[in-house]
Amino acid sequence: MTTSNFDRRYLLMMAVGLFILLVVIYPLWQVFFRSFLDAGAFSLKSYRKVFAYPAYYRALLNSVWVSCVTAALCMVSGTLLAFLVVRTDLPGKKSLRTLLVLPYALPSFFAAIAWIQLLGPQGYLARLFFQLSGWETAPWNIYSAGGIVFVLTVHYFILVFITVAGALERMDASLEEAARASGANTYRIMREITLPLVLPAILAGGLLAFIGALANFGIPALLGMRARFFVLTTSIYYALAIPDFGLATALSSMLVVVALVSMTFQFALQKGEGRYTVISGKSVRPSELRLRSMRYPLFSCTAVFVFCISIVPIFSMVLTALLKYWGAPLAQASLTLEHFAYILKLDTGRRAIVNSLFLAAVAATLTTFVGILISYMHVKARLKGSRILDFLATIPYAVPHTVIAIAMILAWAKPPVSLYGTLWIILVAYLAVYLPFAVRTTNSTLQQIHNSLEEAARVSGAKIFPRLRDIILPLAWPGMIAGWILVFMPALRELTVSILLYAYHTETIGVVVFNLQDAGYREVAAALASIVMGLLIVGNTVIRRLTGGAAGF
Amino acid sequence: MEKIRILNLSKRYGKVLAVDSATFSVEDKEFFSLLGPSGCGKSTVLRCVAGLEEPTEGEIYIGQTRVNSTVDGINVPTELRPIGMVFQNYAVWPHMTVYENIAYPLKIKKLPKELIQAKLKVALHTVGLERLADRYPNQLSGGEQQRVALARALIKEPEVLLLDEPLSNLDAKLREQMRFELKDLQRRTGIPILYVTHDQAEALAMSDRLAVMNAGRIIQVGAPTEIYTHPADRFVADFIGLMNFLPGRVLGRSGEEATVEFLGGHRLNVADRSGLSGGCVVAVRPEDITLSLTGPIRCRVEVRNYSGNLVDYKVRADDAVLRVQTPKTEIFAEGKELGITIHRAMLFQLGEGRGSG
Repeated sequence: MTTSNFDRRYLLMMAVGLFILLVVIYPLWQVFFRSFLDAGAFSLKSYRKVFAYPAYYRALLNSVWVSCVTAALCMVSGTLLAFLVVRTDLPGKKSLRTLLVLPYALPSFFAAIAWIQLLGPQGYLARLFFQLSGWETAPWNIYSAGGIVFVLTVHYFILVFITVAGALERMDASLEEAARASGANTYRIMREITLPLVLPAILAGGLLAFIGALANFGIPALLGMRARFFVLTTSIYYALAIPDFGLATALSSMLVVVALVSMTFQFALQKGEGRYTVISGKSVRPSELRLRSMRYPLFSCTAVFVFCISIVPIFSMVLTALLKYWGAPLAQASLTLEHFAYILKLDTGRRAIVNSLFLAAVAATLTTFVGILISYMHVKARLKGSRILDFLATIPYAVPHTVIAIAMILAWAKPPVSLYGTLWIILVAYLAVYLPFAVRTTNSTLQQIHNSLEEAARVSGAKIFPRLRDIILPLAWPGMIAGWILVFMPALRELTVSILLYAYHTETIGVVVFNLQDAGYREVAAALASIVMGLLIVGNTVIRRLTGGAAGF
Repeated sequence: MEKIRILNLSKRYGKVLAVDSATFSVEDKEFFSLLGPSGCGKSTVLRCVAGLEEPTEGEIYIGQTRVNSTVDGINVPTELRPIGMVFQNYAVWPHMTVYENIAYPLKIKKLPKELIQAKLKVALHTVGLERLADRYPNQLSGGEQQRVALARALIKEPEVLLLDEPLSNLDAKLREQMRFELKDLQRRTGIPILYVTHDQAEALAMSDRLAVMNAGRIIQVGAPTEIYTHPADRFVADFIGLMNFLPGRVLGRSGEEATVEFLGGHRLNVADRSGLSGGCVVAVRPEDITLSLTGPIRCRVEVRNYSGNLVDYKVRADDAVLRVQTPKTEIFAEGKELGITIHRAMLFQLGEGRGSG
């Protein structure tokens, strides 16, 4: 027997460490580093520029206020809906819930496109409004800050809904029963017992919505740029078009700082949740509030709302794709399939589909593979230093995707390794963007595999590679497939990263839809978007089946 | 010959000293138990022997091989140690059949197929699973999974077998049955066993010798009878079997006998080598007390529990409540005034080793 046995698991750890270094750490370091650089010397010039021009610091302020208002609206609507769906005897709760989650399964810039189709000039709902009211112009403008907040809220309120609904479901019913036994009426119980108990969940969901709104590119790009209303993400896009890298990195650094601050709050909230241990994993069903005479009126309101935000946009997208031309009368004669045929015949369209499928498949495979290795070292082997690896792999989660794209340009678009203009630079960016998601699923997958199963293999004499091959991987397989789809689906429709990194021949589906819409080819954009929506809805169904509803939307 | 030798083993987790310089050895063909309340460090010792934990200090030998030495920087990985192990939850791999589970250690050794098949046939027979070979674990009962785990641990003919509370997940009936089966299996194979349990009845029933642990330390090592009749301290006395503890005073001693006064002036001569004087704790086993109408210490029956093979009483004598167990030959009613006779007692220092078990 050998005396000093080099642990071969550390070889794996070094390989994974190198991967994270190249894909995450080095590029992000470049953003930070470059923002302080001017002509090779340390300088605050870029930051000064941001504060010198109103156009740029206004973008920062715009980002913050738009995200704040969005978060507030999300908290109100998400909490209300969660109460209605979880704690009352509203009819049809289950289907309402499924429909509510639907919009989030679709990319946010699809939502923006759909709402332009609905509320924009000549929009379906706008036309309906004109007919009903007899007005000539609409009292709203979708191309505005208000429009951005509206679409962001419709897209992100579900984050509040999910956290609050979860907290309400986990809440011990006896807490409310004790209040009732003390003589409190329903209204007082809700206000004095239930609401304070789920308050951390509401805030946590609100912060998630804030971070989502802050990092969003598609919605402010499609609705704001035309009105010359810029937020941080769209300013970065603009700075890159100039191109002014110093400015782009300075704006990026600020975006990261705001995101990090809210992330810190989010973590603090999660930690503080320990105080509310009463919200435990018990399966006691909380009592349902009887709505009595309000039951059907409330149901109608909720149903109309849910219908408007989930079904109507999808319907609008498909309808636009089928219309002969935008603005055509809604008669049967105006329907056609030629836009679908056109996009599938168009070189750019075909290339984009192939590119996106390739990028999504490779990104999903690589991140799941690296994810399972990181999780193995962190969750199972508990190797020294594996915690750091897990932490480093999670960093991109806190970084808005726009910034990740900038980071890739700075790190990998200059000699000796110039990937600019190739699919590879988009791939590297996807790897960074989706690694945290992959690691999160593989972590929970491996946590479900009891340690003793691997220990039994060690006692049986199996070394690291046989153990991974015979025990860990076969047991983790279903979770890994679910994780793979969870990366594949969002990667397939990705916009924010690819719009900053694409070149001629490396367009993705997101880029083509965005450019078509931006250039006014709404019907063709809608056709391509409809195809992707179909794929996403099928994929979502598959993943829910696979995981028994635990993953997916 | 010693099959496992553990010298000054310590394991520290941050500030917590989980195992505090444990030293003991397991002889060939011996059934050796580590017994103690949960969190006493017994499982940690076992996992150190298995190589699943790395000791902070100390040496471990398996057979003639030194598998751990913190001084010389030796830590043989688990997969190279000549051990078999059964886990508390059996750790039967759910994606493999019974056959594949048991054959796995041989597959890893890259034995020829025919040899594996021959060995499997014997192993399946030994644990009585021939007809379940193609089943998956989720189609097996807890007891059957246990046997799979046992067969898998034994198939590579290890030098020692490590068992980590293997019976704790079985229901009471099956547990009793498995106690005999394990004992029988060990006698047939002659393999030395290191067994971890928190169940003192189990440890007493099965072990050739056992070590009682508390708070990371080994308090006493010995044969079950020795530990039961001569517990080293109050903790062991309390943890093993039932015990009444009464305050008393040593009045005097002659040779190896001490005279104690307790229960309001009652005097008793006790075999004792502790050399205690003055205030002490008098420990009396429930079965070392008899109840009769004429016993010298007056008492009153407060609660009576009839449990089949014996009768369990709580009686109040003086200010103390005593547990008394008698054969079912004579049954007294609750509330009856009786007398008790104490036949045997042990003396412990005041305030020492108050057990949690």
